[in-house]
Amino acid sequence: MVRVVNVTKDYRVGKTTVKALRGVSLEIDAGEFVSIAGPSGSGKTTLLNLIGCLDKPTSGEVYLEGSPVSGLNRRELALLRRDKIGFVFQSFNLIPVLTAYENVSFSLSLLGLDREDVKNRTMEILAEVGLEGLERRFPSELSGGQQQRVAIARALVKKPTLVLADEPTANLDSATGKEILELMAELNNRYNTTFVFSTHDPMVMEFAKRLVLLHDGRVADGGKV
Amino acid sequence: MKRTKVHMLGFLVSLAWKNLSRYRRRTIITVVAIAFGIAMYIWVDSLLLGAERESERNLVWYETGAAKVMEANFWKNIDYLPLEYSFVPSKSLKDALSSSGVVWTPRVCFFGEVYTDEGSLPVKVIGIDPKEDKRVYRLENVIYRGRFLNNGEKGVLVGRKLMRSLGVDVGNLLTLKIRTKSGVFKTLRLRITGVIGSPNPKVNGGTLFIPLSLVNRELELHGAVTELSLYFPGWQTPEKILGRLRAKLEDERSLVVKSWRDLAPDFLAVSQGKRSGTAVILFLIFIIAAVGISNTMLMAVYERIREIGMMRAMGMGDSALKFAFLLEAGGIGFIGALVGIALGALLSFYSVRYGIDFSAYMKDVDIGYRLTGVFRGAWNPEVFPISFVFGVAVSMGVAFIPASRALKMEITECLRHQ
Repeated sequence: MVRVVNVTKDYRVGKTTVKALRGVSLEIDAGEFVSIAGPSGSGKTTLLNLIGCLDKPTSGEVYLEGSPVSGLNRRELALLRRDKIGFVFQSFNLIPVLTAYENVSFSLSLLGLDREDVKNRTMEILAEVGLEGLERRFPSELSGGQQQRVAIARALVKKPTLVLADEPTANLDSATGKEILELMAELNNRYNTTFVFSTHDPMVMEFAKRLVLLHDGRVADGGKV
Repeated sequence: MKRTKVHMLGFLVSLAWKNLSRYRRRTIITVVAIAFGIAMYIWVDSLLLGAERESERNLVWYETGAAKVMEANFWKNIDYLPLEYSFVPSKSLKDALSSSGVVWTPRVCFFGEVYTDEGSLPVKVIGIDPKEDKRVYRLENVIYRGRFLNNGEKGVLVGRKLMRSLGVDVGNLLTLKIRTKSGVFKTLRLRITGVIGSPNPKVNGGTLFIPLSLVNRELELHGAVTELSLYFPGWQTPEKILGRLRAKLEDERSLVVKSWRDLAPDFLAVSQGKRSGTAVILFLIFIIAAVGISNTMLMAVYERIREIGMMRAMGMGDSALKFAFLLEAGGIGFIGALVGIALGALLSFYSVRYGIDFSAYMKDVDIGYRLTGVFRGAWNPEVFPISFVFGVAVSMGVAFIPASRALKMEITECLRHQ
């Protein structure tokens, strides 16, 4: 499903170069529920960004479903993300002027599905994540946990092969965070969608079926290559 | 693919509308800025056009007629009004005028000097035929005080401003020094029969009107005149009828026919200046609208950089995102332009119907326009679609830059943006 081969990523901060990843290799199979864990600054978000085709590595290669992504142009990368990858962000990143229903159906609008199909799939996924009856609420009218459920529904509604979640529980209290993780695990079981999420919270790590530990930009454990 | 685009377009339009209605205060402020600019443009354009049209009317009705026939040499030396280039209108000339559908009146224009207790004042004197003159001019309708002239009397009509300058009034005697055609100086004592208060400040300023028969006798002209003033319907576009007239006057080689446009170069200069003035106003409005919208769009873009990052992460293309911002800006421009046009139309309606009276400030001051203070607007239908397109286009144009800039940022940078 995902293969990361000897990837490095350098950032320029002023005149200094920060080495965020220093030769990471990793394999993730389809249907896995993987947590990328490590302390702050270990390179978790950078790695997720590279897997999600949001950024390009300084060296090395990322393969998605067996194909390298480094040769793809901006438009091809956008299409790849649209069709194959769902994102869940730490701070939800919902569009404030859209209702829960509209935030979720936005993903399907990008795919150009017909209205009936969009409606059915959106209502179905909102029910799956426990937001039945809250479709017309705006993000500001929902709790943090409910907003993250909308974000998960938005990521899953297009039936992606891979869902990437960057610290999905970081902005939630522990009880709500646990609910969100249980929901993600349940959806992983039901749809066999590959979930990769980053965290530094031990409680979250417990939920993972597989743990990849990052330390100082290197895989310390669980890379499986 | 086509269906995808239609869905996307529908989504983007809906998103743009929701952003506009959600950030209502910001939308209203920008709409007000655009509407104010466009309304001002329409209103000022209406006032300037009205001033131009009314000036043209006042020029033709009180100063130049629709055209004049005069000796070519008189025209060449028009600044000196030389009596030696006066002429006796021939029968063929009169026939040519009549058969061209033109009415006419003879006039003699020359310079004189009015004497007062405090000194002397150079004036333009016009000899008019009190009966015939009204066929071309409308002086009789604008007698401010006293009465119009009678044929043969030793009377004079004085402009309102000149009356004030000289400190005279109806019934007073005026001493006028003139020079005959043969170059002899004479002094005339004329009684003021009336005061002219025309809407044309030039006429109210330094001009005296006296009966043509008196002028003819005193200047020893023997029936000669310096000009025939003409009037014809459709004087606004005089070239067609004057072309026909010139063709008929081929035998009268020493005469020239000059339209009111030729006769008032100062007015044409002001009119040209008005066009430059309109361009400046348009530019200022452009700046107001552009600053208002670019500020709004900058705020809209910077507030939503994370949102932009999220949408790009989810696979939304650059062109669709740019289009979304352009739609939003176009929406603001659309509403602003509509409100501005409605407001501009209301202001124009008031100024067309009632006018704006500046007479308390302007008095008879000559500003080039032939107006004495009441500025009436005129409808200019073409300004409405122009300002509408302008409002929408400027809005979209200035939104393009911040939207493009936001799309140059990396997606990860957008997602990190606070």
